[in-house]
Amino acid sequence: MALSREIYQALEDIVGKRNISEDIGVCETYRSIPSQSSAHYGPSEHWTPLPQAVIMPGSTEEVQNIVRICNKYGIEFKASTTFWATMGYIGSDYGIQLDMRRMKSIEIDVKNMTAIIEPFAIAATVQAETMKVGLNLNIPGVGCSSSTLASTAGWAGFGPASIFMGANPENLLGSEWILPNGEVLRTGSIGSGDGWFCGEGPGPSTRGILRGIFGPAGSMGVCTKMAIRLHPWPGPSDFPTRGTIPAYKADMGDNLKCYTLCFPDWQSWARSVQYFHESDILYIGHRQFSMFGRNFKAAMLRIITDPDKQLGDLPALLEDEEIKKQNDSMKLDYQVVIAGMTERDMAYKEKALDEILSQTGGWKNEMMLEKDMHDFALLYLLRLGHKNLNYVMCGAYEGTFGLSGNVWKTIQVVEDAVKIKRDWETNYDHIAATGGDSAMGGTSAIGGGGMTGWEFFTNFDAYDKESVRGTCKFMDGNQEFHNKHGFGPDFCRWNADVRHMNGYNYTQEEHDEIFKNAPQPAVYAYQYKIREVVNPNNLCGSYLRTLTPSKMK
Amino acid sequence: MALNDFRPMMERCSSCTNCKFIPFDKIKSMRFADNCPSIGYYNFNTYSARGRFQLAQSILDGRTDLNETVTETIHSCTSCGACDVACKVCRYNLEVLDHNIELKAYAVENGKVLEGQKPVIENLKKERTMIPGTKKANRIDWAKDLNLKDLFKEKAEVAFFAGCKYSYDEKLQKIAQNAVKLLQSAGVDLGYLGAADNCCAGRAKQMGFFEEFDNSANNNIKAFQNAGVKTIVTPCSDCYHAFKRQYAKLGLDVEVLHIVEYVDKLIQEGKIELTKSVPMTVTYHDPCHLGRLSEDYTPWEGKEKKIFNQIHTWEPKRPRYNGAYGVYDAPRNILEAIPGVELVEMERIREYSWCCGAGGGCNESNPEFSQWTAGERVTEANATGADAMITACPWCKDNFLNAVDENGNKIEVLDIIELVQQAMREEVK
Amino acid sequence: MKEKLIEIVGKENFSDNAEILESFSKDQSFASPMKPWFVVKPANSAQVQELVKWANETRTPLIPVSSGAPHCKGDTVPSVPQSVIVDLSGMNKIINISRQQRMAVVEPGVTYGQLQAALAKEGLTLSTSLAPRANKSVLTSVLEMEPRLNCIHQFNYTEPLRCCEVTWGDGNQLFTGEAGNGPKDIQKQLDAEKFQVLSNGPNMMDLLRMVIQAQGSMGIVTWVSLKCELIPSIKKMYLVPAKKSVDLEDFVYKVIRVRYSDKLYVMNKAYLANLLGETSEKVVELKKELPNWVAAVGISGDSLLPELKVSSQEADIAEFAKECGVHFLSKVPGATGEEVLSKSINPSSEKYWKQTYKGAFQDIFFITTLDKTSKFIEAMYELAIEEGYSTEDIGVYIQPQHMGTSVHLEFSLPYNPEDSKEVKKAKELYTKASKKMSLLGGYYARPYDIWANIQLNKDAQSYSIQKQLKNIFDPNNIMNTGKLTIK
Repeated sequence: MALSREIYQALEDIVGKRNISEDIGVCETYRSIPSQSSAHYGPSEHWTPLPQAVIMPGSTEEVQNIVRICNKYGIEFKASTTFWATMGYIGSDYGIQLDMRRMKSIEIDVKNMTAIIEPFAIAATVQAETMKVGLNLNIPGVGCSSSTLASTAGWAGFGPASIFMGANPENLLGSEWILPNGEVLRTGSIGSGDGWFCGEGPGPSTRGILRGIFGPAGSMGVCTKMAIRLHPWPGPSDFPTRGTIPAYKADMGDNLKCYTLCFPDWQSWARSVQYFHESDILYIGHRQFSMFGRNFKAAMLRIITDPDKQLGDLPALLEDEEIKKQNDSMKLDYQVVIAGMTERDMAYKEKALDEILSQTGGWKNEMMLEKDMHDFALLYLLRLGHKNLNYVMCGAYEGTFGLSGNVWKTIQVVEDAVKIKRDWETNYDHIAATGGDSAMGGTSAIGGGGMTGWEFFTNFDAYDKESVRGTCKFMDGNQEFHNKHGFGPDFCRWNADVRHMNGYNYTQEEHDEIFKNAPQPAVYAYQYKIREVVNPNNLCGSYLRTLTPSKMK
Repeated sequence: MALNDFRPMMERCSSCTNCKFIPFDKIKSMRFADNCPSIGYYNFNTYSARGRFQLAQSILDGRTDLNETVTETIHSCTSCGACDVACKVCRYNLEVLDHNIELKAYAVENGKVLEGQKPVIENLKKERTMIPGTKKANRIDWAKDLNLKDLFKEKAEVAFFAGCKYSYDEKLQKIAQNAVKLLQSAGVDLGYLGAADNCCAGRAKQMGFFEEFDNSANNNIKAFQNAGVKTIVTPCSDCYHAFKRQYAKLGLDVEVLHIVEYVDKLIQEGKIELTKSVPMTVTYHDPCHLGRLSEDYTPWEGKEKKIFNQIHTWEPKRPRYNGAYGVYDAPRNILEAIPGVELVEMERIREYSWCCGAGGGCNESNPEFSQWTAGERVTEANATGADAMITACPWCKDNFLNAVDENGNKIEVLDIIELVQQAMREEVK
Repeated sequence: MKEKLIEIVGKENFSDNAEILESFSKDQSFASPMKPWFVVKPANSAQVQELVKWANETRTPLIPVSSGAPHCKGDTVPSVPQSVIVDLSGMNKIINISRQQRMAVVEPGVTYGQLQAALAKEGLTLSTSLAPRANKSVLTSVLEMEPRLNCIHQFNYTEPLRCCEVTWGDGNQLFTGEAGNGPKDIQKQLDAEKFQVLSNGPNMMDLLRMVIQAQGSMGIVTWVSLKCELIPSIKKMYLVPAKKSVDLEDFVYKVIRVRYSDKLYVMNKAYLANLLGETSEKVVELKKELPNWVAAVGISGDSLLPELKVSSQEADIAEFAKECGVHFLSKVPGATGEEVLSKSINPSSEKYWKQTYKGAFQDIFFITTLDKTSKFIEAMYELAIEEGYSTEDIGVYIQPQHMGTSVHLEFSLPYNPEDSKEVKKAKELYTKASKKMSLLGGYYARPYDIWANIQLNKDAQSYSIQKQLKNIFDPNNIMNTGKLTIK
């Protein structure tokens, strides 16, 4: 339904004619079909609703004025940056989409290791700018194509380097939000104009209402600017890449090394992870290439590092004795990067890593020590520029079995999960049969080591509706496994309670029915109360999980 | 393929945003991270390769009609293929450039073209050239004093094909003439098509005018066959791409070389000697059609085959064009061979080079967008501190000549042949 | 009233004894004294919840207190009449220690001494604030974000605090962080191998952040989970002397930049003398001996090749020092690294070390960045001269935090509480300097006493939101009423 001329004109007056559109063609390209990138509520065959207009603000003031108009006329709005996942899109027929593409500045305070960024500063560009001054940032597992601000303000924000750099909520120093009611809130020290160095206080931290274990996915207004903490980068000022597409490689010098560590059993695997948690030697720790599946990872590494190879080479490669040997070697593996701040530091870290392997019976995979393979994997993990390999096999993926948390608990059940997936792969043809175990993710989802952050990559074909439907059934089965072990919602269903499978918002009544049964329903009642304060007209969709306080058991 | 044949790709595209940036491993700054002129200029998602997939799907599903905005969106693509390269870093089953062009063709089939495209195509049909206002009768005027053999009258080892831009643009004709002289001085037995020399029409293909392209291409192929052409050398990257990739699909079976490849070979063989110092710091712009779009064509016919339940492959294996094997080293070898020249690279080079803005006919159909695109490149070139930007395509050169950077500054733009000429002894110039 | 309270906590845990009430009526800060109405000592979180419900029914202000005296920041002194002190010091159980996860869960009354001893048995230790008071509650210390000595391990600003159980001002009780996603039963969570590790959340808001730095004005926290570290097998402390604080900046930045050290802070001689001197005379003596400024750099190694780790960091840091034109030493005149380390990480003796020199002190502390510290220090000295306060007595402590992105800058102003002129001078300087520091960009993240007004006056929007949040979590304004200026 079209906006009234009065409203459209008011919006156009804010951003100028060039930066707003209600053309059907433009608006149609601001819809998501969750069969492709649901992140994470399971594949669906429905498009998200059509926005009434798409608007591209260029400044905080413009965002504020847009939000004020939305409040005046009761229009749903949602800001998004890269438009990868369904969570970035509106959930009703009466809404406008904010595309934050025009706001992408990056300022760096080198001494104090902070960067002030705008929404469309993607991680790759923030990293490119920070590397020039010897700094780096935590890039979430979703990859460097993601908006750093969005992953920090709007979603989870942990990744391979989180063991060294912390997850993005830990890196958040201060932020500027246009609250859903149109007011500007600057959290931490920037609120009083004292600088961007501290994200907390004064007194209780108002940032606490803006993001929790994950962010509100655009349901709490628009974050227009934030300061993040940066981290040491002991490498070159840009990546000295060589080789040709798609497998660029980079030799970063003697103080940056990447290894694939392998273990005889999950116990040893977990023990090594714990040792790394207890030491300060890892720059990156991530189970990365198992995303291709336990049976395929070595062969897939050969494919993706060779411009002449393709997926059709997979069957032949799987017959190769050397690849079989390497694949067996890295059955229970993960990748690490160690970064020496000095020569001595590197020598210590190399020895410490060897010591951990010695104590756990682990080894370094040989194939991954080949010069080209090493330099490929190192560059891969440092920049995370190959996120779209998630989709390489079939064109769609969703993470399942989010066995995140206590690694010692996870390893008790991981092979059960592997069996469930492998059985499905064998008995049905909905998902790619990659070997059951496709568990990938960080060895720590928080700084300094602690919880792991895992998902089993499940590849299916978004074009093949039978594959989509079968994948959904597989995921339903996984949820039973999660329920049995008390793991809560499976990773692929994390967002199933915030957007209907038809792409539309939940009503409050529907949310009440869900969240009154939560283990601690007061959490959701407080979220309701806070929404009442900052979003009285409830204009940002239903991603914020709320429970009407009177419905609390 | 028809637009509907791209539907699996539309539904398998994962909105990852790769198509908006150069390959992420290559990003060196915020300023020069973008790869797509179209979304760079217009900003709406619609203008990205992802947006085009989604737009096409919406059109096919009947939710979007080919209104004025949609038509303009479809055609505001330089068909430079940067999105295609970036996509294929990770994806093996999407052909985003082919789709962008197919979507244009769909619009053209439905009569939805831009005003600026009409005279270009009309002139192709009428005068066999894609430069509006030029006449067939004047096409080979540029070559009249060059002693080029007419291949319909006598044999020659190599056919020289100047292309429309060099043939008609007076400020560029000199380059084509010098290219001919350069080859001749190196002892190359050179001919041309004479009266049968016509537009390659590669641009028509990239603008979505498939019928017009096919007509021209088939005529030209016949002409090449009749003239007994075995090797074509062209200084125009557009023509090079057309012959090497598009004509090959239609059955052209001759060796196609860009002049930089040929000159590089002649330098290696000692047939061209660059002895005069040209004290200059230069940066090199990789033309899209010489670089990422110029990989050898391999004929393929087959169908999709799923293995391991859902993994997409083709039976037989399908060739993969991802820009890996474009012509990148030959021009750089030439620059390296010129005494005094120092090459400083821009951030976006080789397969992830930024487009000059003239591609896809956008210099005619959407000059403002085209000039902005060129200006972006001039900004990048000026950021290197180079004295001049070197290129190997007349369309690129012409577009850059008119452009200014973000601070309003220009840069000297030279065709690589011009630089080679400067490095040669007087008597062979 | 009284009867109901006795019913909740038991007679032995209720007091209206004048002496006890008097002891809670003031602290050693300049906060205006006011007697509480009663003091109650709940034994568990159920009693706490009962107390809060009662307080809501009767509109009675509650002031949670966990540490023993002397309190120093005015936050436990009643701001309004007829307040009830909720003394949590009796809740002093260590609920859990997990060596595997390096996590501990403790109640409010647990002190550093008590916890460190228990942790040591498991090979663990907890990062500490600088020489905490002997009876300082660990829970209060972490909730109030007292700066840690090991900024390099502060991945989160709130480290080592992870999750907590909180009874909000409205009487609702829940767990924060990861713990908020499980059953509201800590034992059940532990039995299921959930160790309250992740601090963010639960869900899409971070409720822990509603109780940190809140001075008990949002709710009462009855346990916290804490991230612990392995006990180092090698602990060393080096000292880097300098004439001016600015001379140490490059060095400190350099050490932080490479993530070295497990302790790192800068003190002027007055501050260090106070820390080390066990008598007033000794403090005076030390002030003559010690260098003007000292950066303390602790290096440790634990289970993984400790000797190699320590020796390589020692060698590297020594090189950094050289590059920065300073000296990396195991001792300086008046102090050895070992002494500084021991005094820094161990709880203070019975008499709080900041009181040793003159009997009383007033701190001014705020957050800034290292490169701005010299500006504040200069301004403080100028102001002290104007006010006739001896600059020699001003202690300065610079504690990098949150991996060095900011620093806690603390000025400590000792004074003789028996000398009214000194008291007046110190109070004047405290008042004026507090304002001056704020004008210069000092950020009172922990806005105690007069700082609350100063800070929130600069930040109307935060103030407005905080009032609304207070209204949500404590709708009847019963939690430490009058603090943080939030009415």
